[in-house]
Amino acid sequence: MTTTIKEQNGELVAFFEGSLDTAASLQTEKDIQPLLTADKNILLNCEKLEYISSSGLRIFLQILKAAKPRGLHVFVTGMNKDILKVFSLTGFNNLLEFRD
Amino acid sequence: MITVTNLSKTFLDPDNCRVDTLNGVTFHLSKGEVVGVIGPSGAGKSILLRCMAGLEHPTGEEIKVTPGMRIGMVFQHLNLFSHLTVLENVTLAPIKLLGMGRQEAEELAMSMLRRVGMSEHARRMPSTLSGGQQQRAAIARTLAMKPDVLLMDEPTSSLDPTMVDEVQGVVSSLAQEGMTMVIVTHEMRFANAVCNRIFFMHEGCVLEEGAPEQIFENPRMPQTRAFVQRIRCLEFNISSGDFDFYDMRSQIKQFCIRCSIAEKMGEVTHVVDEMFALISDFRNPIHIEVNHSDLKQETTVTVLQYGAEVSALDNPDADELAVMIIRGMSKSSKTEHTPEGVKTIFEI
Repeated sequence: MTTTIKEQNGELVAFFEGSLDTAASLQTEKDIQPLLTADKNILLNCEKLEYISSSGLRIFLQILKAAKPRGLHVFVTGMNKDILKVFSLTGFNNLLEFRD
Repeated sequence: MITVTNLSKTFLDPDNCRVDTLNGVTFHLSKGEVVGVIGPSGAGKSILLRCMAGLEHPTGEEIKVTPGMRIGMVFQHLNLFSHLTVLENVTLAPIKLLGMGRQEAEELAMSMLRRVGMSEHARRMPSTLSGGQQQRAAIARTLAMKPDVLLMDEPTSSLDPTMVDEVQGVVSSLAQEGMTMVIVTHEMRFANAVCNRIFFMHEGCVLEEGAPEQIFENPRMPQTRAFVQRIRCLEFNISSGDFDFYDMRSQIKQFCIRCSIAEKMGEVTHVVDEMFALISDFRNPIHIEVNHSDLKQETTVTVLQYGAEVSALDNPDADELAVMIIRGMSKSSKTEHTPEGVKTIFEI
C-alpha cells in the first residue's frame, strides 16, 4: 500500500495505491499526516485503491474531521465497485463529496 | 443411438508402462437423453467423450453408433478460427464438409446463431467477443453440422464466472428442445438442473449411474457420496498479530478462483479482515475456516476464538464500522459455543 500526496490545480491530491486493510492502515495513517494540517481542498484519488477496510475508512474520517472546521472540502474519486459497496454499507457515501 | 460396450483405453506413459484411462465402460445412450458426466479429475471423463467423438481410438471393445448418425463436440477451450468472423466460423464446415452453397450455409448459420442468442454478433471477429459469447458461437458452429448427439467437455470451465450462466442457459434450452447430449462438467448444480441421467466416473469406470436425484441426494457408493458432498476447505491458525495477512488474502483469492466463486472473493476477504480487526488480541489463538460446497453452492466463513465466551462480533465495545461491514458483506451469522471457545459462522 502506498500513499502519495501532490499539489494539483490548487488542491492537495492523495493517491492511494493497493489495499488499505487492517494491516496497512498504521503506515497509511502516518502517510496522510500532511492532509490534517492542509489549507487547501483535498481530493482522495482511489483509482488504484483495490480494497478498503474499516480501519481505512477511519483514516478517511480523520481527514474529513480535520478539514471540516477549516471550511475545506474533501472530494473522492475513482472508487471501484467493492469500495463503493463498503461506502454505502457504512453510510460514507453521505459523508464524502464524490467527483467523477 | 450409441451403445458403448466394455470400452477401454490404455496409454503408454513415458516409461512405457500401461496406464488405463478407461476400464470397461458400458452404457446405452437413447435419443433425447441428457447425460451429465461427473467425477474427480483423471477419472477418464474427457477421454470417454473423445472416444465417443472418434478423436481417440479405444484399445478394447467397441462403440456402436446408429448408422448415419452425426456426433458433434464442443471443447473446453474456445477454439474458433481467429481470422474468420463468427458467421464464417459457423459456415465453414457446412460448406467444406457438407457441400452446401454459401447462401444456404449462411441461412443455416444465422438460424443456429439465433438459437444461441448470437445472431447480432455474426459479423464480428472472435477476438472482440467475451469468453461466453465465443463459447456460444462455438456451440452454434457445432450445431450447424446438424449433430444428432452433442458432446460437451467442460463447456464453462475456461470462462469467467460471470459468463457461466449465459452458456449454461444455452445448454439448458438445447436440452429442452430435445437435443441428445453428453456433458462433462464439474458444475454439479448445473448437472442436477439440466441432465436426466448422471454418470459418476471413478478410476476409468462408470462407478455409479442414475437419475440426478439418486446421484446427488442418495448416492449408493461411498466414492460418489464423498465426491458430490465434497466441501472444499481453506484453514488458518492465527496466534499472533504478526500473522502474514497478505499471504492469507492471496490464499483466499486462489481458493475462490478454484471453487469458481470469484464473485464472493470481496465478501469473504472483508468478513475475515474485519473479524481480524475486531479480535485484535491474539493471546488466545483463533482458527479461521472458509468452506464451500459445490453441490449446495454455499460458502461459509467460520471464526473460532479459543477460550472466548462472547464472539468478537457481539462484544458491546466492538467497532461499529467493522460490524456494519461484516453484517453487510455476509448473508447471515450465528454463534455456537463449543468446549474450545466461541464459533462465529457467517454465510457468504
